[in-house]
Amino acid sequence: MRKIWPFMLVGAVLLLGIAGSALVLQRPDTNIVEIVQDGNVLHRLNLAETEDQIIEVEYDGRINTIEISDHRIHMLEAECPDKTCVGMGWLDSAAPIVCLPNHLVIQFSDSDALDAAAG
Amino acid sequence: MYLKTRKLTELALLTAVALIIFVVELQIPNPFPIPGVKLGLANIVTVYAVYHYRAGEVLLIVVVRILLGSFFSGSIMTMMYSMAGGLLCLIGMLLLKRLLSEKYIWVCSVIGAVLHNIGQIAVACFVAGRGMLLYLPFLLVSGCLAGAFTGVCAQLLIKRRLSRQTDRDKSGQ
Ligand SMILES: [Zn+2]
Repeated sequence: MRKIWPFMLVGAVLLLGIAGSALVLQRPDTNIVEIVQDGNVLHRLNLAETEDQIIEVEYDGRINTIEISDHRIHMLEAECPDKTCVGMGWLDSAAPIVCLPNHLVIQFSDSDALDAAAG
Repeated sequence: MYLKTRKLTELALLTAVALIIFVVELQIPNPFPIPGVKLGLANIVTVYAVYHYRAGEVLLIVVVRILLGSFFSGSIMTMMYSMAGGLLCLIGMLLLKRLLSEKYIWVCSVIGAVLHNIGQIAVACFVAGRGMLLYLPFLLVSGCLAGAFTGVCAQLLIKRRLSRQTDRDKSGQ
């Protein structure tokens, strides 16, 4: 007797993953970007208005160098063991750029306004 | 006494094999720009053990492998990720084993790998915030693929062991 539900279960998980990935890969409808460390928003920027610049963020003595160029943002260099964050390239989807060892996240913001708390 | 020593030796051997696989895999850089994507080859040992040993014994293999493995990776954080992923994966596979015969070991392995990734994402959410949830879809897909691969490896191992056992039985007669 061949069971069908195990195949359907695996198929459902796979489909859910593919559909979710397609959604996450879309660029959100905002230009507001946050640089967050340990849950604290360090910088809040409107990419449409930014000038080219370098932002350095320190964690436990290790430096992450973030570059903003031509209204795009990416991790230029990172003093972390895996360098996954550098490999993520420019931020162009809802999936954030993360440096897990240094607790650093670069993401498009959920809320649209550049509020007063912005640095 | 003989049985107990034999069982202990088997468990130690499986743990050692899992640890070696784990440490070798640590040396392979992640080719994808997504944190947490990996083959998880040590899962071959876990899923095999789930079908051949008692729950407590498999737990022992997994926990000892993760604790010793964290010496080699050298970071407490890596251990947290592995522990959360490993335990969630183990619970899921132990439950699935009750529903699925060994013929479906690859399904067990896929669900285990997916649960492993969910556990890791949960820890990552603590570290880096809710934004990490957005990586879940990628990790569902990678879990399915990696889990199917390790599951098929486990299936091949079991087949080989069975055929060797029957050979031995034949020659014994
Ligand atoms: Zn990094």
